[in-house]
Amino acid sequence: MIEAENISVSFKMMKDSVKSVKEYLVQMVKGKIQYEDFFALTNVSFKVAKGEVMGIIGHNGAGKSTLLKVISGILKPTSGKVQVNGVVVPMLELGSGFDFDLTGRENVFLNGSILGYSEKFLKEKYDEIVEFSELGQFIDVPLRNYSSGMVMRLAFSIATVVQPDILIVDEILAVGDAEFQEKSKKRMLELMGGGTTVLFVSHSLDQIREMCDKVMWLDHGQMKMIGDTQEVCDAYAGNN
Amino acid sequence: MRNQKITFKQGCFFAVLLYCIAVFVFWLCAKDQLNYRIDKTDMLKLESGIGEIMPDTVFTQNFRINENGELIYISFPIATYSRDNDCDVVFGIYDGNNLLTEKSINTLGHPDSSNYDVYFDVPVALEKNKIYTISISCANSFPNNAVTIYMGKGYEAGKASVDVDLSPEMQVKANGNPLGYALCCSICTRSNLVLGKYFPFMATGLGLVFLVYLMYMYDCSKVGRSCLGLKLTSAFSRYKYLLKQLVSRDFKTKYKRSFLGILWSFFNPLLMMTVQYIVFSTLFKSTIPNFALYLMIGIVCYNFFNECAGMCLSSITGNASLITKVYVPKYIYPVARMLSSGINLFLSFIPLLLVMLITHVGFSKSMILLPIPIICLAAFSLGIGMILATMMVFFRDTQFLWGVISMIWMYITPIIYPESILPQEYLFLFKLNPLYHIIRMVRIMFLDGVSPEPKAYFISFILSFGTLIIGAVIFKKNQDKFVLNL
Repeated sequence: MIEAENISVSFKMMKDSVKSVKEYLVQMVKGKIQYEDFFALTNVSFKVAKGEVMGIIGHNGAGKSTLLKVISGILKPTSGKVQVNGVVVPMLELGSGFDFDLTGRENVFLNGSILGYSEKFLKEKYDEIVEFSELGQFIDVPLRNYSSGMVMRLAFSIATVVQPDILIVDEILAVGDAEFQEKSKKRMLELMGGGTTVLFVSHSLDQIREMCDKVMWLDHGQMKMIGDTQEVCDAYAGNN
Repeated sequence: MRNQKITFKQGCFFAVLLYCIAVFVFWLCAKDQLNYRIDKTDMLKLESGIGEIMPDTVFTQNFRINENGELIYISFPIATYSRDNDCDVVFGIYDGNNLLTEKSINTLGHPDSSNYDVYFDVPVALEKNKIYTISISCANSFPNNAVTIYMGKGYEAGKASVDVDLSPEMQVKANGNPLGYALCCSICTRSNLVLGKYFPFMATGLGLVFLVYLMYMYDCSKVGRSCLGLKLTSAFSRYKYLLKQLVSRDFKTKYKRSFLGILWSFFNPLLMMTVQYIVFSTLFKSTIPNFALYLMIGIVCYNFFNECAGMCLSSITGNASLITKVYVPKYIYPVARMLSSGINLFLSFIPLLLVMLITHVGFSKSMILLPIPIICLAAFSLGIGMILATMMVFFRDTQFLWGVISMIWMYITPIIYPESILPQEYLFLFKLNPLYHIIRMVRIMFLDGVSPEPKAYFISFILSFGTLIIGAVIFKKNQDKFVLNL
């Protein structure tokens, strides 16, 4: 389902901070602009089979989000190869692509089409989305008049209406008030448990232990451990 | 799976059918201009009369033309001294002493100082750069019953004039004596083009290449190989809905909170035209017959280009939040912006139609060809837009730079002024400018009511699609780096 081979991602960072255009040009002519390669990921390889749930753990800046971006195709790896078969739905951030001048209804179709849903699918599921979001009559009001909770509820409802082949989750998204949080958490667990392949990043070891079939531990862009959930989690917990 | 293959075949069938219809319509509308070309020499600025044409005087004028062709007519500005003159003026064309053709014109009832087109009965083939002679004589005139013809020394260019060759050989002569001026006349010739003869073969050949490629695509789809055409069609069917949504968002949000809303798409070009018409009409009106429509076509086309390029410019940076969060092929963004500007262009043709109605320009079949320059314009604007979008990601100063460049571009394109005001040595500025060729094509279609010459199509296609390809290559080469710079 997902196969990653030796993927590395590096960014170029300028060594000395050049403060002005003049200085930049002078340095460029001298050929003295030096870049330092910063490796966000180094030689990461893994395989995820169909239906497997893989957790990814690590400290802040360990490269977890970068890895998710590479898998979802947003970022091209500097070297290495990624092969992904199936429809990927990345849930890195909710509501990307919302236009606040449009109504909720228009945004359902806009955001849905950005996430790659077909017209037919959206029309079929439209009622379900509105119902889940509990927006009711507000669906025909421009988004700029929504409360932030309402926006998040709508975004969540659109993002999770689909049954994707591969789901990429950056933390379990629980949005809205306590009641809706409970509901959205349930929906997420449903999605992740329903036979889809899941890549799941979380800082909550309890959640990881509960849900994942296997776990990868990333540390400073390098894969420190991969394998059985309890083993890796124990090692990670022991390291802290 | 089976179902999909049938639709693929159907798609091929429709594509071929569409091609045939397009070629046929093109042939129907542009047949004349594919077969021959009409050349007309410029008229000199009228300065003085040659005097009453009397039986005892024969006026002669040598001339040469730039292209081989068949003489259709010669246009002379004839002055009647504001009276009725019942005399027959004989116009003859000589090759040395050899009379090629002549025509006698009765001048009774001819309006004063207006051009008279003299059509010759016998068709004459003229060779380029060879010297021929026009002779003008009149056998039955007498004082106070004779007409005259104007002569001049140069061409009109704005408020100044460009001198012509006034060596004794090229002056108008009365019984062989040079008069110091050249005769005012405009020679209209028709040259046959080889293209017209070969057009059916070219169209069929191109159609066959198209068909073979479709078959190749079909073959690829069967064995699961990928090829460019297949990638394009599958990407289109996959992202069609997204494209539609993005275009409708652009369009909806553009006028969302304005009072007049969509009406601005009509008012904007109309108001701009009105202002520029008032400001510039006194300057340029005399040289352009229908200045309002001339101006309007320029404004509508340039507005589209400017809007499209400007919107594409910010298409990547403006959608940064999407690009860093969801994978969608990045070219979708500039293409969507181009399409939404296209809707605006379509709407601004309504005020254009209005100007046509007001200025009594009738419908001609050449207007059916309008989609061709529009497609070129869209391709060119998208190409420039993609280059700008790429530059904008790495170099945010592009937006300010483009503001200046687009203004310069507007002034080096003949939108508000006639082509003739630019001196000959700067003419390359026009020739290199795809916008000039495209706007000129639209103007010929609307103002002259004929199809542009075949060369114009070639130049426009090559320049605009060349720009699109360059833009797409630059975009594609850099698109993986976009996300790192947003």
